[in-house]
Amino acid sequence: MEKLNTPPPVRRISPDKKSKPAKPSSTTAASKRNGKVSVKTGRSRPKVESIERMRTVDLGIAYGGKSAVNGVSLQIKKGEVLALIGPSGCGKTTYLRSLNLLVEQTPTATRTGKIMLDGEDVDKLELTELRRKVGMVFQQPNPFPMSIFDNIAYGIRERGSRKPTRRVLKPFVEEALDRANLLEEVKDNLSHPALRLSGGQQQRLCIARSLAVEPEVLLLDEPCSALDPRSTAAIEDLVLKLRSEIAIVIVTHNMQQAQRVADRVAFMYLGDLVEEGTVTQVFDKPQQKRTRDYVSGDFG
Amino acid sequence: MGITLRKGVFSRLPSLKGVASTPDQRAELMLGALAVGSLVLIGFMIAFVMGEAWPSFANNGFFKWFGWGGNTDQQLEGIFNSPGDPASYVYEIRTFPLLYGTILITGGAVIIATVLSVLSAVFIVEFAPEALRRALEPIVKLLAAVPSVIYGLIGVLVIVPFFDQVFITEGAKESVQYVIQLTGSNITVAVFILTIMIAPIMIAIVVNALNSVPDSWSQGAIALGVNRWRAMWTVVVRAARPAIVAAAVLATARALGEAIMLSMVSGSVSFSPNPLDGLIFFLEPARPYAPAIVENSEGLTIPPFGQTIYAFAAVLLFSAGMLSFAGWFIRQKLRKYTLTPT
Ligand SMILES: Nc1ncnc2c1ncn2[C@@H]1O[C@H](COP(=O)(O)OP(=O)(O)O)[C@@H](O)[C@H]1O
Ligand SMILES: [Mg+2]
Repeated sequence: MEKLNTPPPVRRISPDKKSKPAKPSSTTAASKRNGKVSVKTGRSRPKVESIERMRTVDLGIAYGGKSAVNGVSLQIKKGEVLALIGPSGCGKTTYLRSLNLLVEQTPTATRTGKIMLDGEDVDKLELTELRRKVGMVFQQPNPFPMSIFDNIAYGIRERGSRKPTRRVLKPFVEEALDRANLLEEVKDNLSHPALRLSGGQQQRLCIARSLAVEPEVLLLDEPCSALDPRSTAAIEDLVLKLRSEIAIVIVTHNMQQAQRVADRVAFMYLGDLVEEGTVTQVFDKPQQKRTRDYVSGDFG
Repeated sequence: MGITLRKGVFSRLPSLKGVASTPDQRAELMLGALAVGSLVLIGFMIAFVMGEAWPSFANNGFFKWFGWGGNTDQQLEGIFNSPGDPASYVYEIRTFPLLYGTILITGGAVIIATVLSVLSAVFIVEFAPEALRRALEPIVKLLAAVPSVIYGLIGVLVIVPFFDQVFITEGAKESVQYVIQLTGSNITVAVFILTIMIAPIMIAIVVNALNSVPDSWSQGAIALGVNRWRAMWTVVVRAARPAIVAAAVLATARALGEAIMLSMVSGSVSFSPNPLDGLIFFLEPARPYAPAIVENSEGLTIPPFGQTIYAFAAVLLFSAGMLSFAGWFIRQKLRKYTLTPT
């Protein structure tokens, strides 16, 4: 595969980022505000055509009658990374877990409203089919206790009743690792235990594991919260790389990260969607006082 | 467990040289001494049993001792009736029927119990309603604590007569009448009761192991579009394999050493059940090493007979040792992928 020849992803992260003059982007203006934060991404973000993949209409989730998400309507588009921000406990994870109906694992959870995938109600889809189309990466990296290869191949092997051989799987495994910017680091060690990788590598492995089943939508729940800045940069890089192919929703606590990777931002508070808009709209001209307080860090 | 114990002892040995002044150091020294003491005791025990057993192996030849030929029960009688003169002691024995009986009954019970315990544990952990789960766990633990002689009694009083009346027809008896007499005591009853005896502890161990597998793994699998049942098998049970092996080893050790119950229900005849007999195979008796030891313990004072019985014990002791080692080795192999970076 010619993809093997791309330079190692980690190398082009922080060092050259600083040396490059910051490109004028929507985030630079925001970063100057308050004079507090300074965000210079320097990452190119080409404009790509955005196509709606998912949409929630008035989605509500309650745990045992106690509401965690109230009537949230959002669109999730390919070509536009959506960042979900908001204080802890505001329902970001719950919202994300409802998109692939993982909330149904919680017996007390009840749902109201609609979730559409490609214009079709997700309730009409087979649950396993939906979850293959809507991949999810969790806050804590959770590689299976298997080799790197078997982790990536897991979803592919489980998809069919006939198990493909290693040789057949290998190109798919390598492609998924490459898309997750991990191939260069692990290509000689595919049979090593995945749990021996560093935290950042484990998280990219989990992303690769999701990518291997060719999802249309990728949900990332605070994927960098347990990682160091270098690994965080590696993941942000791959989000930007994938945004033209897959619809991505990323939950983040980190305002700068939202500005670096997202095209649109949704701010949630106590289960409500308070405000939603482009990065510039939400960070520079928030309409709601709560949003303004939160993005400026005056949150109390 | 034996391995960690030994490692602990060796790492503590240097402190013996220093002065044990603090309470901690004294406690360490005490525990170290106790551990060394018990290891030495085990060492002596093995040496003693092997030493006693040696003449039996030596006089028959090691491989012939395990081989077949003649009637093992009659050979035992011959040894029992040895002349008093040491020079003309009789040692001749071929224990293949005992070896075969041990493997058949222990192996059968362990295989069935392993499958049974993994299935029940998966059911208890993943699918049983909360109320049933809460009732099942103490029951399983209680069953694991029932003394084996009680199982033996139930076997003799209930199951053996049941087999005798229901399965052992005149036709079945006649078909093998020149080879063996069929009573209700047979390998099926033995395997059945032994399975019931060892399964509860295995279930308890596997349930614990499945419960301790992080939920995030099955969540990860489910998020990939795998159903709950597959996620359980391919990720959770897989991750619990070291514990399943540990449970199987423990159960095998218990089954190997089970003497009383087997002596009560397995038929107590050194016979090799013949699979070529078809279904009657399952109604044929056998006699593993452990029950052979208890059933012959009254003759221990006759030197060659005692040495023969010690040889049975040596085989069990050696098997138990090998078993622990094999279990440890397999667990190491399986744990390779579970270990997180240190
Ligand atoms: N499994 C659950 N059972 C009951 N309540 C839950 C469960 N998961 C989350 N909650 C509650 O739902 C609310 C939203 O939680 P969550 O979606 O995890 O927020 P966030 O990801 O924004 O921190 C919180 O009040 C939390 O306590
Ligand atoms: Mg969360």
